[in-house]
Amino acid sequence: MKVLKRYARLYRVFVSQFFKTIVQSKANFFIGLIGFFLTQITGILFLYLVFEQIPVLADWNLDQLIFIYGFAQIPRGIDHLLTDNLWMLAWNLVVNGKFDRYMLRPMNLYMQVIFEKLQPDALGELLVGSILIVISLQKGIVIISGVNILLFVVSVLAGSVIYTAIKLLFASFAFWIKVSGPVLYTAYQFADFAKYPTGIYVKGVRFLITWIIPFAFVAYLPAAYFLVPNVNAFSTIGVECILSVAFFVFAYAVFIAGTKAYESAGN
Amino acid sequence: MRQKLKIYWPFLENQLKSNLAYQGSFYLFIVCSLFGPFISYYLWMAIYGGSSDGVLGGLTQEQMVVYVFMTYITSSLVMIGIAEEISYDVMEGSVVMALLKPIDYRLSLISRSLGEMLYRFFAPVIFVWIGLEIYKVTVLKMGVTPIQNILLYIVSLSMSYLIYVLFDFCFGMFAFVTTYMFGLDMAKSALLGFLSGQIIPISFFPAVLQKVFVFLPFSSMVYTPVMVYLGKYSGEEIAFVLGRQFIWIILLYVLGSYLWGRITKRLVVLGG
Amino acid sequence: MIRVENVKKEFVSAKKYPGLRGALKGLVSNEKVRKVAVDDISFHIKKGEIVGYIGSNGAGKSTTIKMMTGILTPTEGKCLVNGVDPCQNRKKNAKNIGVVFGQRTQLWWDLPLSESFTILKEIYDVSDEEYNERMEFLNRVLELNEFFSQPVRNLSLGQRMRADLGAALLHNPSVLYLDEPTIGLDIVVKDNIRAAIKEINEKYHTTVVLTTHDIQDIEELCSRILIIDKGKLIYDGSLVDLKDKYGTTRKVIMEVQDVNRAKNIPLDSYLSVDKEDYEITVDAENSSVTVSFDKNKLQVSDVIDQMLKHVDVKDIKVKETELGEIVMAIYNHDIVQEG
Repeated sequence: MKVLKRYARLYRVFVSQFFKTIVQSKANFFIGLIGFFLTQITGILFLYLVFEQIPVLADWNLDQLIFIYGFAQIPRGIDHLLTDNLWMLAWNLVVNGKFDRYMLRPMNLYMQVIFEKLQPDALGELLVGSILIVISLQKGIVIISGVNILLFVVSVLAGSVIYTAIKLLFASFAFWIKVSGPVLYTAYQFADFAKYPTGIYVKGVRFLITWIIPFAFVAYLPAAYFLVPNVNAFSTIGVECILSVAFFVFAYAVFIAGTKAYESAGN
Repeated sequence: MRQKLKIYWPFLENQLKSNLAYQGSFYLFIVCSLFGPFISYYLWMAIYGGSSDGVLGGLTQEQMVVYVFMTYITSSLVMIGIAEEISYDVMEGSVVMALLKPIDYRLSLISRSLGEMLYRFFAPVIFVWIGLEIYKVTVLKMGVTPIQNILLYIVSLSMSYLIYVLFDFCFGMFAFVTTYMFGLDMAKSALLGFLSGQIIPISFFPAVLQKVFVFLPFSSMVYTPVMVYLGKYSGEEIAFVLGRQFIWIILLYVLGSYLWGRITKRLVVLGG
Repeated sequence: MIRVENVKKEFVSAKKYPGLRGALKGLVSNEKVRKVAVDDISFHIKKGEIVGYIGSNGAGKSTTIKMMTGILTPTEGKCLVNGVDPCQNRKKNAKNIGVVFGQRTQLWWDLPLSESFTILKEIYDVSDEEYNERMEFLNRVLELNEFFSQPVRNLSLGQRMRADLGAALLHNPSVLYLDEPTIGLDIVVKDNIRAAIKEINEKYHTTVVLTTHDIQDIEELCSRILIIDKGKLIYDGSLVDLKDKYGTTRKVIMEVQDVNRAKNIPLDSYLSVDKEDYEITVDAENSSVTVSFDKNKLQVSDVIDQMLKHVDVKDIKVKETELGEIVMAIYNHDIVQEG
């Protein structure tokens, strides 16, 4: 408990410093926000154009697809907002020896890495996600109840943890291969598969994004719980929670093993 | 010409070398870049599954398969950014060095991107291309693409490439205004992906928008060569779209020179 | 305080080939290169000592420091700092030590220095009371006030080094590691940094381990030096002993009337020694003559005596071997290494 309190305070200190630097560069803030907003919104415009020509896509109608698409953006945005520095770990903290300084401080290494950066660009994704969810909810395709709201929040949190775990796992490879940016990028790209119903892919792809790099559990499967009447909560959101914890524990163990194998720079 | 080649060749060679130096990422970026077309492929299969007459936006399902992969091939070879390089040079201050050297900055950037293009042609474009043609003949039963289509495609593709790099050079001038090119680049890629035909054929857009697109350079970057490859244009139409590409090359070249001239003048005045 | 026992560090990397062809070859080949950076090193450092750790580039200095600070895990052997193994117990060790890398800052690049200190205060759990006391001291010896509100990226190299040193000392560590703390600094700043290190060591009995290429750092600060070469420890002892052992050459430099006469003086017969025991060199332009010899074979006083007797001498200087020359000789392997 004492430790938790200490880290909460540390996070406040880090974040408040960080906000000061954001305020200094408002232009960058808006550029980043617009950049990520456009990236995600063009995907949805695509669906609008396609549905001009067809009534249903793999048994899903436009409103349902918009809900799934929007649902996918929120955990992605939360993870992006909070743990963006993992990309730096993958690309250059190890190869430049910048990781040294974390090793020298009496503070949890993982916390040090993620505390150091807050990525406001993520608000672009959160914005797209929220807008799409609101639009699709207005169509009345989802029953809004206390239980569903709770499950929604739980699922979004678990989804964020899955994103973070996948990023942490592949970023940690940098400790052995120096630069794991390309590997992490590859893994992260799989998330794009999960913006659409997984039923449209061949078996191999479906298996991969459900169980190996489980992005299907971040959006499509939990979204299906809300959209389809007799899908059970445990087999979707329940499994999502279990997977998120399991994956994070595994990724964290790899990260810790990586810090032991860290070789610094200059050799 | 030979003299010029001597000056700019090292830029090209260096780019190739640095690409080859990272064996791990070499294969990964290739695998990764193929995600996009495969997601599109499955998505379009599902979309055609939901259509009644089997023709969407003027394309049959078989033509759409070719469209998806030719779009991938075309944008791999065409969309090789130089803006990122410019922003790096601006941040490092080495852009001033570029002014001092007796070489054309834009040409040196283009040489570098040509090196990248050469690399991409062998990994993986040529394999995807051959694979697509085999798939076309054996599974889609469409026959091999006629040689005149391929030749016209190469002409159009070369012009697409020039349009893109010249455009990206102009876009790169933003690096003198903002330090956050990463965000701006995201916005650019998103918009270009949408407006160039990379994500969806231009023929899917409402008629009004299509008319607007005629006056923008974006469809000339990807959509035009791919439609040429598919043999969707008649003789006259081909002359028109190729002519339009040529005009964009000239306009963007002039615009780039103008912007660069103004910015370097300001740089000299401010002393870097 | 610090015990390093039979420590070894080995790095493994993929083999690289030159040229465009080499790059292509690198794609398929999977050859590995092994490099032993630190090879079976042992030493003890007592509390309050200032130890200079020297060696040429790539000799293994930084690698050793990184093992003592917990950044690297030794391949073999063991480090103990204050009874703590820095790798097993990284956080506990981190509270005890302060580290400055001259080449790279530990501070937050975009934040004002004051904010970096605020964050460090939290990370190291320094109480307000201690913080104020430390800051007062650090401001006095390092004059941080001058630039305390500026972002780190705007600081000059000298300011940045002072800032880094201050940051490393905020939590009153019992051991301070300095990796090339004076690199690239001008003479005045170097002097200030040295004075600060000395004062910190005296006031708080902080143990200091420093690596440097600046011989003056060593002469002014260190009572003891360790010399590492190709990963092996080749000298561990006091500065005086090093000079006694390797710095036995003396030079008597004289300004004379007749250079040629001075050059041909038969010192061997006057002092009854061998011709090989000394050497006379001439700088005709400045009419100066230098006699070099080993002080264990000839006496300085005898040499001067004889010279004064036989030539017209206007000025005399006697020079000992400088530490720099000794170190240079060691780097160049001119001196036979002891086991």
